[in-house]
Amino acid sequence: MNVQEFIEKFAEAIDIEATELTADTEFRTLDEWDSVAYISVIAMMDEEYDIQIEMPTFKTLKTLGAIADYIEKNK
Amino acid sequence: MNNPFSLESKVIIVTGASSGIGAQCAIDCSKMGAKVVLVARNEERLRQTLNQMEGDGHMILALDLSSSDGLKEVIKDVVSKMGKINGVVNCAGMSSVTPLKMITDGQLDQFFRTNVYSAINLSKEVTRVGNFDKEAGCSIVFFASIMGLVGEKCKTMYSATKGALIAASRSMACELAKNKVRVNVVSPGAIETPINARLPHMADAELRKELEEKHLLGLGECADISNACIYLLSDAAKWVTGQNFIIDGGYTAR
Repeated sequence: MNVQEFIEKFAEAIDIEATELTADTEFRTLDEWDSVAYISVIAMMDEEYDIQIEMPTFKTLKTLGAIADYIEKNK
Repeated sequence: MNNPFSLESKVIIVTGASSGIGAQCAIDCSKMGAKVVLVARNEERLRQTLNQMEGDGHMILALDLSSSDGLKEVIKDVVSKMGKINGVVNCAGMSSVTPLKMITDGQLDQFFRTNVYSAINLSKEVTRVGNFDKEAGCSIVFFASIMGLVGEKCKTMYSATKGALIAASRSMACELAKNKVRVNVVSPGAIETPINARLPHMADAELRKELEEKHLLGLGECADISNACIYLLSDAAKWVTGQNFIIDGGYTAR
């Protein structure tokens, strides 16, 4: 999977510019990260990649690259 | 003294009876003496509810209420087998946590079909002459939610459908009162049920704690809601129509 493409979808889901983000971004430190952002990302993963991720698993993912890896391994 | 809350010999249709609040309503109506028609899509799960019920003469009806095709004939058939209908509890429904920008036309359509059209169409068929008990009267209960009254992030679709039911119930109450048909709404706060147990606001410990704190009395149980339904279905509520019963552990008190 193209990581940049995922980053763009992530940025769109939580309403920020993709240019602020890289694979190393620890997304929980973003000002925009809140419960709605979380739900938006979960919904985006389901819709765009058909990935249903449980909360405890999602909590283990720290960076955007880690989410992208998870999608790649589980799609 | 006669128990004014008794449902003895009343015929009550309960939709969404395969799980959660609907299943609890079916079980508790049977305990109060009603003959219950259990409606949901999944026959196997309806049987699981039936196994927990008291008394006999109940009926299982595996039916998808999101379409009204053939509903008229189905209700006629129910009346011929069970007798005239005294009450309907419209528990069938769906919920989601969906951000505004993720909402699609298809999802909106599905929400309104499942939560609103189904309840209105079923009420329409039940209240046709000959289908309901005009002598004893008939009580229709819609299921809304506090989300029909107050807001919460990511609940736009759910709120829209529940607000629609609250509004519709008042006009239906006006229209049907002359036939001794009462129409009321129950608006629960957060109840832990299979439909919502896996949604983030219940499954995540932090979000759940936040939710619990919004209810003065904590989260509710299915029986807290079924007890309100029993009242509305019973003769104890014979002078009650067009009302919205908010059973929310104090959520909307502040």
